[in-house]
Amino acid sequence: MALQDIDLQIYPGEFVTITGPSGCGKSTLALCLAGFIPYAYPGRMEGTVRIQGKNTRDYPAGGLSGIVGLVQQDPEAQLCTLTVRDEIAFGPENLCVPAEEIKERINNALRAVGALELVDRQVHTLSGGEKQRVAIASVLAMNPALLILDEPTANLDPFCTAEVLETLVHLRKQNISIIVIEHRLERLVSITDRLLLMQKGRIAGESTSVESHRKYLPVKTKTIWQAAKTPNPVKKEQGPPLLSVNNLKAGYEGRDILAGLSFTACAGETIAIMGNNGSGKTTLLLALLGIVKAQEGSIEFQGRDISGLKVARRARDMGLAFQNPNHQIFENTVLKEARLAALNLSPEAEPEIDSRVEQYLQQFDLWPYKGNNPFTLSLGEKKRLTLVSILAYRPGILLLDEPLVGQDSDRLDLLMAAVQEHRERGGITLMVCHEPDVVAANCDRVLFLDKGKLVIDKPVGEAFQLLAQMGMEEYLPSNRAFACAGKEGKLI
Amino acid sequence: MSFYHNVFQKRTASIIKGFLPGLSYVENSSWVHRLHPLVKLVMLISFSLTVFAVPTCLGGLVLFGIMLVFYGLAGLGLAFFYRKLRFIMVFGLFIFIIQVLVVQEGRLLWQAGVGPLQLSIWSQGLFGGLNLALRFVNIIGSSYLFVATTDPNRLTYSLMQAGLPYRLGFMLITALRFIPVFHYELEQVKNAQMAKGIEIEGLSPGQLVKAVKYLLVPLVITALSKVDYLAISMESRGFGLYPRRSYLYVQSLSRGDKIAMGMIPLVFILFNLTIASRFAW
Repeated sequence: MALQDIDLQIYPGEFVTITGPSGCGKSTLALCLAGFIPYAYPGRMEGTVRIQGKNTRDYPAGGLSGIVGLVQQDPEAQLCTLTVRDEIAFGPENLCVPAEEIKERINNALRAVGALELVDRQVHTLSGGEKQRVAIASVLAMNPALLILDEPTANLDPFCTAEVLETLVHLRKQNISIIVIEHRLERLVSITDRLLLMQKGRIAGESTSVESHRKYLPVKTKTIWQAAKTPNPVKKEQGPPLLSVNNLKAGYEGRDILAGLSFTACAGETIAIMGNNGSGKTTLLLALLGIVKAQEGSIEFQGRDISGLKVARRARDMGLAFQNPNHQIFENTVLKEARLAALNLSPEAEPEIDSRVEQYLQQFDLWPYKGNNPFTLSLGEKKRLTLVSILAYRPGILLLDEPLVGQDSDRLDLLMAAVQEHRERGGITLMVCHEPDVVAANCDRVLFLDKGKLVIDKPVGEAFQLLAQMGMEEYLPSNRAFACAGKEGKLI
Repeated sequence: MSFYHNVFQKRTASIIKGFLPGLSYVENSSWVHRLHPLVKLVMLISFSLTVFAVPTCLGGLVLFGIMLVFYGLAGLGLAFFYRKLRFIMVFGLFIFIIQVLVVQEGRLLWQAGVGPLQLSIWSQGLFGGLNLALRFVNIIGSSYLFVATTDPNRLTYSLMQAGLPYRLGFMLITALRFIPVFHYELEQVKNAQMAKGIEIEGLSPGQLVKAVKYLLVPLVITALSKVDYLAISMESRGFGLYPRRSYLYVQSLSRGDKIAMGMIPLVFILFNLTIASRFAW
């Protein structure tokens, strides 16, 4: 049973945030409220949902579409036409709204999300944040009284996240009720009227003031600064750098993405790579591995220039975990998938690989699923599986592209423990990460990219100070933002 | 959105590009581009039917000429035609040569002995082959001209307003919408393969099966998850709620368009009956 004993009233103009661990029924609740359950999905629903006083069962199928708007997680997949104008017109057209009024609604909806300038753009040229704002606008054009957003910022960088949240604050002023379902509350607490915690299909907690919302922040973010203050458990070797990148330039189709990056990394260092979407973070990881060819510059690993080596050779030293695990799962059982990369890349014998794979699968809570098809796993589990398949051949460098997306906070420990273990073996970790709190707690250094240039290469504390000076509020840890407001005193 | 390139992809890409240049919409504002999509569709259908109806190769040549004139009017020019349709022309030539060598009917035009081989060219082979090659080039050439000058989005919206069920229309539009998305996904999957040390080279059957499996499975899975989101997104915006829907832009046919749509088929029928069928060859 996905939901039990839910009693919930949402008032006009109210901003409600619903949170809870994966599988607690948040998304199911959203689908009930939007009228998709019991219509579109097979299943059983007891009790009633009333929207504006009327039972959702009494609306015809799809009849709620002018009243409740639903915005989902993947901004890419919820746009169905080719231009922004068509996209926003799509809903009103379905409701047979006359053309003159549609024009007006397009204007209003785009103004509400602050995206009037996007009206003539092609959808596929938009950034993630722009796509999500267009998705919100396309729902707003239906004039909904209630807007439900299911993890609307999960795929966005901090800058785009801030953009979307600002949009929501603006909408609340127009008396639209808003429900946001979200794992990561740090940026929502200050704008939420009411916060609901769901556990195992029930509403387990409720908070109605910003002060008490803070109680629901995961413990980790509260203790994160203590963690950051404790010295790094591993003493850095003062020897020559293990990895050194010199004037790396790379790009595709004649467009330079990386404009001459230079940095070094010592054994045991964990480095965060931060920056806006399109700043070249992923390209940097791909260029290190040689998937994107470097046009200029050198990459030295263990004192040898590896920039001439083939990808397959470099992959032995560098394990890359992609952002979307669906792209890198190829086998039909969890066990086979976990062994795949090691069998291709590791010089070790099979029994050794097998025993290590088993050890990691158990450590990552995946051993019970070893015979299952990996595609039946949840997003977080898939991401852990791809990490296992990399750890199984013990590359010297871990390249992790947004490993946190889709992991709820208690699973973060597993992930970070693995990184810690890797660090203790003297391994380097380069991690693209949008969560300043996690960066603060787990990384030694921050590389901040802007338009393909390395603008910051500093230890974590200094890096955040520089970012604060640059006005990059979105990239600061939540407590740091409080610190700026003088609530928790000076940090670092 | 960026597309990741590498040596392997470049190699396959250049091979594919040699054979199949990007036969897609070319943005421009020429007279042909501005024509109403439905008028162009009627022209294309009339032209294609005439291509098959015309029995002589001189008729085919005239149609080929008309087509080139339209390429010119569309601002695309001969260089463009050659660049994009080179492969089709070569293929047409191939058809022609086969016909000339194989068909031995009609009058004997030319005969010669080349070593032990006896070569002969017959009138049916020569003209029939030319006719077949011209038909092939004309059909593909005109279809591509239509594609190159017609914004698919506008075409679909026009068709829906002319009576095509909107569910079918949006099948096409969402398909177009997701082409760049899946292109991107495909690049990601290839990158992931390389990162895992999966090297698929050579074309043995085992390797091929593996290549297909390692490429298609992740792609299909991502596609399915996108489809779920898309369906909810469209339905929550009232898609399919009513049998009809309104449109922001009415792709209306002017009186001129309507007359043209009536006249064009007539012109082609007349051409076929009076001129084309009179040619001797």
